[in-house]
Amino acid sequence: MNLLPLVLYAAAGVVYAIHFARREPAVGRAATTLLLLAALAHTFVIGMQTMEVRHVPFANPSRAVSSFVWLLALSYLYLELTTDERAMGVFIMPIVVGLQALPVIYPGVENQDPVLDSPWFWAHVSSLLFAYASFALAAMLGLTYMLQFKEIKKKHLGYFYTRLPSLHVLDAMNSRAVVVGWLFLTIGVVVGVVWTAQARALAPDNINLQAMSLEDPKVFIAIVTWAVYSFAVFTRTALGWTGRRAAWLSALGFVMVLLNFLPVSYFVTTSHTFQ
Amino acid sequence: MHLFLLGVSHRTAPVDLRERLDFSSRDLGAAVESLATRPSAAESVVLSTCNRSEIYVASSDPVRAREELTAFLSEYHDLPASSFTPHLFSHDNEAAVRHLFRVAAGLDSLIVGEPQILGQVKDAFQTAADRRCTGPVLSKLFHWSFVVGKRVRTETGLGEGAVSIGFAAVALARKIFGQLEGRRVLVIGAGEISTLTAQHLRTSGAGEILIASRTTAQAETLATTVSGRTLPWDDLMHGLSTADIVVTATGSQRPIVTRAQVEAVIGRHRPDPLFIIDMAVPRDVEGSVGDMEQVFLYNVDDLQTVVQENLSRRRSEVERAEAIVSEEMAKFAAWQRSRSAVPTVVALRERFDRIRRSELQRLDAKLAGLSPEARARVEEVTRLIVEKLLLEPTEQLKGLPDEETQVAYTEAINRLFRLREGEPVPGPGETATEVTPADRRGT
Repeated sequence: MNLLPLVLYAAAGVVYAIHFARREPAVGRAATTLLLLAALAHTFVIGMQTMEVRHVPFANPSRAVSSFVWLLALSYLYLELTTDERAMGVFIMPIVVGLQALPVIYPGVENQDPVLDSPWFWAHVSSLLFAYASFALAAMLGLTYMLQFKEIKKKHLGYFYTRLPSLHVLDAMNSRAVVVGWLFLTIGVVVGVVWTAQARALAPDNINLQAMSLEDPKVFIAIVTWAVYSFAVFTRTALGWTGRRAAWLSALGFVMVLLNFLPVSYFVTTSHTFQ
Repeated sequence: MHLFLLGVSHRTAPVDLRERLDFSSRDLGAAVESLATRPSAAESVVLSTCNRSEIYVASSDPVRAREELTAFLSEYHDLPASSFTPHLFSHDNEAAVRHLFRVAAGLDSLIVGEPQILGQVKDAFQTAADRRCTGPVLSKLFHWSFVVGKRVRTETGLGEGAVSIGFAAVALARKIFGQLEGRRVLVIGAGEISTLTAQHLRTSGAGEILIASRTTAQAETLATTVSGRTLPWDDLMHGLSTADIVVTATGSQRPIVTRAQVEAVIGRHRPDPLFIIDMAVPRDVEGSVGDMEQVFLYNVDDLQTVVQENLSRRRSEVERAEAIVSEEMAKFAAWQRSRSAVPTVVALRERFDRIRRSELQRLDAKLAGLSPEARARVEEVTRLIVEKLLLEPTEQLKGLPDEETQVAYTEAINRLFRLREGEPVPGPGETATEVTPADRRGT
């Protein structure tokens, strides 16, 4: 079921790349249209899965990845439609396509643990996935900032210089994405802690809940990620760390996010694998 | 109607001759009006810039148009024709269309892709249109050229990248700061180069402009020119600490801004970048200042390199722009063909309608018994039949792929339906045998 969105995302990615290279407005509009169609098809897939398991499909790693991709596509579309700036598409689409391939290759089975039938679970995961989507955008904005910064600094105004928005705009968008992501990350972590305490009282024998501690890699890396982004927010507001420093921090943070989201979720954690 | 173009440009004539044939410094409107009185110039537009003087006419007699336009140039500018005829170039029809499209696109400009020309083409057309010297052909042609110019600018990089160092500096500032509104500028030195750059920044919307110069009088003059403020020379470092953009162009033999000074005033973690444009030779700013994290330092040579890169990038876009010109030429030619099909279509329509009316007239007596509603219905039905019969041939005729086919089709239709003037229209008797039994029963 995840294949159709994947194909549409890939097609949008190719058209975004052509648009980036050739800068023809009609091609850009075609790219946006394809991405809208992909997001629509993806919405349908996620809707179907929600009806199937009677909660938003988050608990299996592949389905969580699929939901993350969906949120990232929607967040990017929001950014594009509000700023009328399509140059970032070519940087975002590889993440979208690469991650969407996972649920296609490993569909996984959504877990039906009754512990998950809780609005807390929904709030916890959706906050975190939305935070991750914001961080993905921030990382790509940071990456493009660095590419452009390098061209201007080295006085070789080349490929990216003619195609990307100004450094100021990239930095401002990066800042907004990091702050929004940090807020949702904080909410997600707090909700997770509160919910774990509640669920433990209800299901004292649940092995997942027992494993929920700072020693679990998933929880540990999530806290480190939170620390990285808190540092980024603090240094920007209090010390004026903008530009390249902020870009590096948002890239580092997103590496942590991906690490936690993929290898740790799939192979390492014991706390977050509900059966 | 033929299109004809005659003129001189930077490609065919030296600057002194172009100056003598220039219309823009005199009353361009009067020139177009005087041109419009010539019999061969049914429609005319005069395009005159510092690089070209071109006359576009729609004429029924292109050979005569050439003679009359040459005579017009000679009379209007009071020059013997022999002094400029070797430098004239001319184009007919398709070549004239291509030329105007290339001009509007900036492909024929001295600096490829320069932006002013499209506005100049628009002004030239407007001047002629205001004096009712244009008609359907030139009006369509010029509006089409505006579309070509716009397409080339939005779809190719032909007009991209600044090609003078002043504009290159402003473009860089925009790439660093986005909008320049509210950005503070410090200008050090108040000579010619500083003035030019400061003016560029002012027109690009920069915020407060501070001018520091050892010569107070010069600083004050520049401050007035760009609505800025003077800054005492001793406060230079304070000005540097609050500036976003610094322009330096003094005659000093030693650096005025050193790395130690910049480090002292902007601190290590300055949130906003500092863009320093060093226009002076020898340089006013120590080269190592550019190594600081948030500082972008460009000197004259750097800006020259940017300009050269932009020029070569523009040249690499020429092919794509030419492709757009060719594409639009094909569309324009199709429009012209559809337009030349109009007389045939109209004649065919009139012919069919005449037959329809004469048939109704012939049946008038038999239709007399019908109610007014039924008669109106008969009228309506016959009209619709004619419309439907004509719909497809009309579309086909307007959409023919080339001129040759069009001539053949038009000729065939003219013969098949005897559309030429003077040929007799078939009278009611000639078609009487074609009335079917069903028609008779209907009456």
